[in-house]
Amino acid sequence: MRRYLTRKLITYVLAFFVGVTLDWALPHFMPGDPIQGMLSKYNVGSNASYAALYQQFSSEFGLNVPLWQQYLNFWHGVLTGNLGVSIYENPASVTSVVFQAMPYTLALLVPAVLLSYTLGNRLGAAAARRRFLDNWVLPVGYIFQAIPYAGLALLVPFLFGSLWHLFPTSLGYSENLIPTFDWTFISSLLDHWFLPFLTVFIVSLGGWAIGMRNLVIYELENDSSRYLRALGASERVVRGYAYRNASLPQLSGLALQLGVVIGGNIVTEIAFQYPGLGSLIYKAISNEDYFLLQGIFIFIVIGVLLANFIIDLVFISVDPRTRLSMQGAAA
Amino acid sequence: MSESISEAAAPEVAAVGLPSVRGVGAAPRKRNDFLYYGLRNKKLVFGLGLELILVLVALIGPMLAKYQPLQTTLPLQHPGSQHWLGTDLTGYDMYSQLTNGLRESYLIGALGAAFAAVVGMALGFIAGWRGGWVDELVQMITNVIVMIPSLVLLVVIGSYLSSRSILFEGAFIGLTTWPWVARAVRAQTFSLRGREYVELARLSGKRPVSIILKEIAPNMASYLFLAVILLFGSSMLIAASYDFLGLGPSGTVSIGWILNQAENGSALLYHLWWWFVPPVAVLTAMVAALLIANVGLDEVFNPKLREQ
Amino acid sequence: MTPTRSRNGRRWRYGTAAVAVLTLGVASACSSSSSTPAASGSSSASASGSTSASGSTSGGSSTLSFPRSETLYTSGTAYGPPVNWNPLDTGNFATGTQGLIYEPLYLYDPIKNQYDPWLASSAEASGWQGGKYVITVRSGIKWSDGQPMTAADVAYSINLARTNAADPYSANVASVANAVASGNTVTVTFKGTPGYTEFTDYLWKAPVLPEHIWKSIPASQIATTANKNPVGTGPMTLDTANQQEVAYQTKPDWWATAALGYSFKFKYLVDVVNGSNSQELGQLTAGNIDWSNNYLPGVNMLAGAQGGNSGYTLKFYGTASQHYMLSGNTVWLEPNTTKAPMNNVNFRRALAYALNPTAIAQAVYDGIASPAGPTGLLPTLQSAGYVNSSVVSQYAATYDPAKAKAALAQSGYTGQTLTLEAPQGWSDWNTAQTVIQQELKAVGININVIEPSSNQRTADLDSGKYDLALDNNAGLDSTPWSYFQRVYQLPISAQQNAQMNWERYTSTSDWNLVQQAATINPSNTSQLDSIYSTLEKDFLQQQPEIPLWYNGVWFQGNTQYWTNYPSSTGGNQNIPAMWAGYLGSMTSVIGLAQLTPAKAS
Repeated sequence: MRRYLTRKLITYVLAFFVGVTLDWALPHFMPGDPIQGMLSKYNVGSNASYAALYQQFSSEFGLNVPLWQQYLNFWHGVLTGNLGVSIYENPASVTSVVFQAMPYTLALLVPAVLLSYTLGNRLGAAAARRRFLDNWVLPVGYIFQAIPYAGLALLVPFLFGSLWHLFPTSLGYSENLIPTFDWTFISSLLDHWFLPFLTVFIVSLGGWAIGMRNLVIYELENDSSRYLRALGASERVVRGYAYRNASLPQLSGLALQLGVVIGGNIVTEIAFQYPGLGSLIYKAISNEDYFLLQGIFIFIVIGVLLANFIIDLVFISVDPRTRLSMQGAAA
Repeated sequence: MSESISEAAAPEVAAVGLPSVRGVGAAPRKRNDFLYYGLRNKKLVFGLGLELILVLVALIGPMLAKYQPLQTTLPLQHPGSQHWLGTDLTGYDMYSQLTNGLRESYLIGALGAAFAAVVGMALGFIAGWRGGWVDELVQMITNVIVMIPSLVLLVVIGSYLSSRSILFEGAFIGLTTWPWVARAVRAQTFSLRGREYVELARLSGKRPVSIILKEIAPNMASYLFLAVILLFGSSMLIAASYDFLGLGPSGTVSIGWILNQAENGSALLYHLWWWFVPPVAVLTAMVAALLIANVGLDEVFNPKLREQ
Repeated sequence: MTPTRSRNGRRWRYGTAAVAVLTLGVASACSSSSSTPAASGSSSASASGSTSASGSTSGGSSTLSFPRSETLYTSGTAYGPPVNWNPLDTGNFATGTQGLIYEPLYLYDPIKNQYDPWLASSAEASGWQGGKYVITVRSGIKWSDGQPMTAADVAYSINLARTNAADPYSANVASVANAVASGNTVTVTFKGTPGYTEFTDYLWKAPVLPEHIWKSIPASQIATTANKNPVGTGPMTLDTANQQEVAYQTKPDWWATAALGYSFKFKYLVDVVNGSNSQELGQLTAGNIDWSNNYLPGVNMLAGAQGGNSGYTLKFYGTASQHYMLSGNTVWLEPNTTKAPMNNVNFRRALAYALNPTAIAQAVYDGIASPAGPTGLLPTLQSAGYVNSSVVSQYAATYDPAKAKAALAQSGYTGQTLTLEAPQGWSDWNTAQTVIQQELKAVGININVIEPSSNQRTADLDSGKYDLALDNNAGLDSTPWSYFQRVYQLPISAQQNAQMNWERYTSTSDWNLVQQAATINPSNTSQLDSIYSTLEKDFLQQQPEIPLWYNGVWFQGNTQYWTNYPSSTGGNQNIPAMWAGYLGSMTSVIGLAQLTPAKAS
C-alpha cells in the first residue's frame, strides 16, 4: 500500500512538473511578440522611439533575459507565489488580477455544478424507478445535454433579456454601482449572476440525470441485485444499494468537474461578459498576456491534479478490488 | 480552462457512456439477434431515423440552395419563398449557410470521433494490459492532456498553419478529448485481463497485440461502439464552441460560425430569430438523436436493459 | 437508504446557496478593494467638498452609485480595465486621460478645418515668427492640485519630448533646438529649417504636463508609469475605477468655463469597458449607455426608433445619405510591393480596377460606412481643399472589371494564389475579405483568405511577410502629411515597427517631396498644394495602396438622459468620439460641453 501511494505521489509530482513546464512553454510558443503587439496600439512616431519603448517594456516584464532564465524565474515565481505582472492590466500583479476574477467564476460554477449534480442525480434515480418520469426526464435530459453552449448562450439572453426584459444579460454588476459590500450591490451581483448560472446549470443537468438513470438501471439489473432479491430483500433495500453503487462513478465525475472549475466556462462568460476567469483567459490570449495565462493555468493544474488524487484515494479506500489489483500490477 | 470548452460536452456526454462499461460482461450474440431487438427498440429507431433525415439534409440540402453560402444578396430578408430561412445583415442566405454548416458539423464529428477513438483505445489497452509503470505513465499523460489549456493550444498550433482546415479542427478535437475513452478502456482491460480465457491465451504464448485484438476488444465491442457515437456528438458540440469563439476553420461556414456571426450582428437585439434559432435547433437535434440512439443501442447490446 | 439521500440533498442545496452568496460576497469585497480611491488620494484642492460619488448622493437606495440623471455613460474606447492615467502611455491610458484630465495647447477642428486655442491663448498661425514659434500660454489656469499652470510647464513638456526618445511625441519635435519660457510665453527655436508640419501636430496632439510632478519620474519610465493620481488642467478629475469602468467627476472651476463659456452639465462621466458588439448595443438601447463609440453593425435599422414603445431615440452624427457616421480613417488593401506580382504596377492597377468600394462598403457595413475616394484622403481633407480633383479624374483607377483584366494580362500574374490577411475576430474586416475574394476572383485573381491573431498580423506586416492585407492607419488629421508619410516613408528596415510604409513601397522622389512638405511654412499654400498634387498623382498612378472604404467615427447617442449630441446638422458640429487621439486633440470636449439633460431636474 505504501509502495502504491509512493508511486502515485511520484507520478503526480512528475505530472505537476510537466504541467507547469507546458503552461510556461505554451504561451511562449504563441505567434507574434507580446510587446510588439502591445506597442502596435501606441502612436509611435519613429523607429528610435519604438526601440526605447520596446526596451523599457521588455525589461519591465523580464523578457530581456534568455529563455532558460525566464523558465527558472517562472519556477521561482510559482514556488514563491509571485507570478509576475500582467501585460494586459499592467501594472497590476497577476495574482491580484486572478484573485479578482476567481470569486465570479467560483460563484458561477460551483453552485451550478453542485446543484445540477444533486438535482440531476435525484431526477435520474427517480426516472429509473418510474416509467412515467422516465418518458419525460429522458427526452428533456437529452435535449439539455445536446444543446451547444454557444446556442444556449444566445437563446437564454434572447428570451430573458431581449424579449421579456427579466434579467440583465451582460457584465458582473450594474455599471452605475461602485463595488461595495452592501445590499444594493449584492443584489445587483445576484441579478447579473442568474442567467449565466442558469445556462451552465441547464447544460450540466441533463448529463447527470441521464448518467444516474442509466447507472441505477444497470445496478438494478446486475447479479448482486438479483441475489439480494433472491435473498428476500425488499425492493427498497435493493434500490438503496443500487443507488449507493451508482453514486460512486457519479462522484468521481463530480470531482473531475470541480477540478476544472477554476478554468471558468469560457463560452458562457464571454457571451454574458461575465468578469470571471473564463473571460480573463480569453482576454489574456487575445492580448498575448503570457504572465496572466501562466498564472491562471497554475491554478488549473493544481485543481486537476488534486481532483484526480482525491478520486484515486476514494477508489482505493472504497473498492478493495482496485487496491488488490493495483498491488498485483505493481508486483 | 483546459476542459472548460471540452467540459461543454465531453465529461457529461461521457457520463452517459460510462455505465455501459459495466454491462460489458455480456459477450456478443448473434447478429440477427441484435437486428431483431434493434428494430423493436423505439429509442434506437427514433434516434437513427432522425439522424438519417439530418444526414440526408446535410448531403442533399446544399445542392438545393439557390445561393452560395458566402454570396451576398439582399440583407435582412425574412424567411420566405425567396430565402427559405431568411438572410442576415450581410445578405447571406441562411438556408444555404445552415445546410453547409450541417455538413461541416458531421465531418468534424466523424474526424473528432475517429482520432479520439484510435488514440484513446490504443492507450487504454496498453495501460490496462501492461499495468505498472506503463500504466502510470499513460495516466500521467492523460492528466497532462486534461490540464493543458486546449484553447491556447488551439491558438498556438493554429498559428503555425497558413489556414486552419476542417481536418485540423477535427484532429485537434480528437487529440484533446481521448482521455475519458482511455480511462474507461483501461479500467475495462484491467478487469478483463484477469479472466480465464485471457490467461489461457497468454499461457498459450499468444502475442499481447493479438490477445488484445482477438480476446479483449471483442468483449468490449458494444462499449467501444457506443463510445465512438458519444465522441461523435461531443466533437460536434466542441467544434461549435470553438467556431463560436472565432477559432474554427477559416473560410468555411459552420454552425458555430453562424452563431458567432449572429452574436456579432446583434441578432438578439434586432430580434432576427431566424439567424440563430434554426442553427441551434438543428445542432441540438443532431446531437440529441445520437444520444437517444445510443441508449437504444445500449439496450439492444445488453439484454438486461431491454424494456420488458 | 432513501432518508440518507434526501438528507444529503438538503445539505447540498443549502450548501450551494451559501457558496453562491459567500463567493459573490468575496467578489464584491475584492472588487471594492481594487477601486482606485483616486480623488481622495490626491490632495485635490480644486475638487469641491464632495470628493467622490459616495459623499454626494443621499438617496436611500445605495450609498455608492452614480445618480443616473447627472451621469453620462460612454463606451467604445476601452478594451481593457482602466489602470493607467499616464498621457504619454498612448497605448494604455484610460479613456479620458487625454482630454478630460490632460489638455493640449490647441484643439484641431477637422469639420471647420481650424485650430481652437486651448491652453495657448494666441491664434495658432500667429506663432510662426521668422523660423521660431512663440506660444502665448493662457493665464489663470491651475492644475487640479492647486499649482498654477505656467509657460514653464509648456517648455518642460516640449523639452521632455525633445530629449527623451520614449516620449511618444519625440518625432514631432525632432527639429526643435530648445523651448524657453519667459513670462507667459514660450519661444521654440529650431535646428535649421523648422519641421513645420510635425511641430504643428505637436501643438494639438500632445498634452501639457505638470513639471512639478513629472520631473520626479525616472526618465526611463515617463511613458510607462501608471500615474494613478493624475493631476491635470482638464474639465474632470478621476473619481474611481474598477475592472468594468472608470468614473470622472466634473471640476466646477474648470478654466474654460470662465475663459470660453464651456461647461459640462453632467456631474460624472463613466466610461465602460467594451464588451461584444451585441452587448454594447443592448446596453445602449436599454439606456445604460448614453454615448457609444462602438461599431454596431446594423444600428441604422434603429435610426427610425422614435420614443414610444422602444422608449429611446438614437442619434447619429450624419444623416442617412451621409452614411450616418463621420468618416474617420481610411481602410486600404495593402499589397506587399516587394513581392511578385504585387511589385508590378499593372497588377496593383488591376486590383484597383477590380475592386468596387461602393459594393464592398455596402455589403460589409450595410449603409454606415462610406466608400473611399481614389486617393483615400478623408472627406474632411477634401473639403479643406487638399484633394486635387483634376488629378483624380485624370489618373484614378475606378471600378472596371474589363480594364482590370487588361491590366492583369500585362502584370506578370500567372494564376498563383495570394493570401489576403486581416486580424482574426475583426468581424467586419473578415466579411470584407470574402467580398474582396469574390470580386478579385471575377477578374481571375485567386485569393486565399487568412485570419491570423492580431499580434501575428502586426508581426507579419512589420516584417513584410504577407501578400495582401487590410490595413487602416491614417485617421482624421489637419493635413494630408501624415497620410503620405504613412504611404511613402523611407528607408525601409527589416522591421517596419513604426507602422509606416507597411506596403514597403520605394519611391525616393515621393519621399523627398513628403520631407520637403514638412519643412514648408503652412502659410505657403501654393507650394504645398503643388507638392500634395504630385503625391496624389503618383499615388493614383503607382497605386501603392488601394483605398477601399472609410471607417466611421462610430457614434450613437441615446436621448433618454442627454440630448443635443454632436450632429452634422445643428449647433453641435463637433467630433463625437472619446477615442484616444480624438478626445484631447480634436473638438470632442467641446461636443461634450454642449450636451444638455433630457429632463429638467
